[in-house]
Amino acid sequence: MAERTPERLVRLLGLVAYLDRHPGVEVDQVAAQFDVSPVQVLRDVDTLWMSGTPGYFPDDLIDFDADSLDSGVLRLTQSRGMARALRLGTREAVALLAALRALDASVGDALEPAERAVLTSTLDALTQATGDAAATVDVQLTVDGDPAVLAAARTALRERRRLHLRYVDAADRVTERDVDPWQVVAGDERSYLQAWCHGSGGERLFRLDRVLAAEVLEAPATTRPAPPSDAAFKPMAEHAVVRLSVDGRARWAAEQLPTEEIVEDEDGFTMELRVSSPAWLRGLVLRLAPFLRDVDPPEALLDAGDAAGRALDTYRRLGLTQ
Amino acid sequence: MSDALPAAERLLNLVIALVNTTAPMSKEQIRASVAGYDHAPSNDAFERMFERDKEILRDLGVPVLTVTGAAHGDEQGYRVDPDAYALPPMELTAAQLGVLALAAEFWQDQVLRVDAGRALTKLRVVGSSPADPDAVIGLAPRMHPAGPALGPLLDAAAERQAVGFTYRAASTGEVRERIVEPWRLIADRGGWYLVGLDRDRGAPRVFRLSRIAGPVAAVGAPGAFVVPDDIDPRALVDVAREAESRTAWLAIVPERGGALRARAQDLSGGPEAPDGWDLVAVPYTRASDLADEIAAYTDAVVVLEPASLRESVLRRLRDAVTAAAPLRRNDG
Repeated sequence: MAERTPERLVRLLGLVAYLDRHPGVEVDQVAAQFDVSPVQVLRDVDTLWMSGTPGYFPDDLIDFDADSLDSGVLRLTQSRGMARALRLGTREAVALLAALRALDASVGDALEPAERAVLTSTLDALTQATGDAAATVDVQLTVDGDPAVLAAARTALRERRRLHLRYVDAADRVTERDVDPWQVVAGDERSYLQAWCHGSGGERLFRLDRVLAAEVLEAPATTRPAPPSDAAFKPMAEHAVVRLSVDGRARWAAEQLPTEEIVEDEDGFTMELRVSSPAWLRGLVLRLAPFLRDVDPPEALLDAGDAAGRALDTYRRLGLTQ
Repeated sequence: MSDALPAAERLLNLVIALVNTTAPMSKEQIRASVAGYDHAPSNDAFERMFERDKEILRDLGVPVLTVTGAAHGDEQGYRVDPDAYALPPMELTAAQLGVLALAAEFWQDQVLRVDAGRALTKLRVVGSSPADPDAVIGLAPRMHPAGPALGPLLDAAAERQAVGFTYRAASTGEVRERIVEPWRLIADRGGWYLVGLDRDRGAPRVFRLSRIAGPVAAVGAPGAFVVPDDIDPRALVDVAREAESRTAWLAIVPERGGALRARAQDLSGGPEAPDGWDLVAVPYTRASDLADEIAAYTDAVVVLEPASLRESVLRRLRDAVTAAAPLRRNDG
């Protein structure tokens, strides 16, 4: 996909300011600095030395030393007044500052002292450079569960070692397993450990607040991380489809659930979900019960109703209902 | 040159021209002399192109000043303020750039993701060497997307400008137009909230972004209000979410309720669990969330205290029995 105009412009301006500060840098090094390919850097240079002040005679243009370029080195000889680094826009500053603050507040305590120091100094430097831009935003990550679990996961990640987990899954089963930790995905709603599970021979996402205990093992981690996952539950085609029709008061459900399809009508909406766990579906039907108009297949509602009836009997038996 | 210049190159030439000019440049001067504008086929086309370019530059933080001076009569001239252009002097280490690269991955929203990416490109300029990807090992912060309302609301909050939008109330589903002075945007446990002054009600209100329907429009001029310094926006969100910290005393069947046990506190002084049940104390802030979670365990978890939480769970159970009852009758 073609790069967007503003992104290219920001890098073009950035290259001039960077090369003004660093006379004579190899093309590969510049590419690494800006996280683009060397080919892209050379394309940018082609553009830059066609650009300048009106008139566009040779003396008006941004210029590089041609001999250096032949040997793969960028040496800026004329910056046409563009030597300064461009400041951050308001939203740009907000985007980075709010993220750094959220990181510091939620996982700062779990970081190594050296890591924490880098985070804090970055936050300070950016705040100094941009002022109070982020006062309009307040973002928090939710890293819940046992702090000892997070600490063990971080140690295992740093030392590339295996972890032994005691984990309780969505169906309320407690299991023990050895995993290679890949990363801790700290989210705004909850956090996960993304790992390779040796028991099941696959990649798994473990909710941090469902890890009962974690122990760092002597054995090294042997699997490599996959590309970053967005840590959201992804329904699969083989999962059963359930259709739930609810009234408008259950609007939150449409916001929170991984729906396949939502059809709105006058009084509410009907949503289609793919369900992998009967226990999860039962919980969902119980949450939606006051707002339910129809369930297909109806067995899902019958199952939830029966389970609720047994629970009410239990409360009665224990003398906990009026 | 017979082909039109790509937009990025036209904008680059515009910035260089406006930074270097000694006197503000009029639109005519820009059209006649800056590379890339000479291909505009008509006045209208040039005007549209220039207005859009100006917007893009300001969006990127380039301070394009509009100057109305005697030199141009009534006509406006443009230049870039070189002092306002520059990032304050700073230098970042490879590790600091690494942390910033991590922060740029934070947003899943298109708008903020793009903003964070641009900010990172700008900061790479003052980095001593390429970003160190291992500055913070194995940590990936991820923020749910807030949806299309976030960008305009952030802009309006920064500019202190009122906004208008259509809002669907949670409890009633009632849809109404609101005019709000945006004070702060807050993300908390999977939800995005706007806290601000609801002008019709003349009082602070909390709005969930996902319930804003359609576009958010700026209303009136920037600098229209000040954020009162005696308010605590996050507290308002907490109140809106019925938050208060409490302890639930639960009786749980042995070996069950693992996720609840994982959050349990070591407390004494609670009620006694019935024979054969485990007593578990779970801290909570939102009764309705916990009631949903407990109800899903049906007969494996029983609320002993507080009574209000127990009632919430019982109501859910009765609702489910009631909802299923017609199916039972059809069976028979």
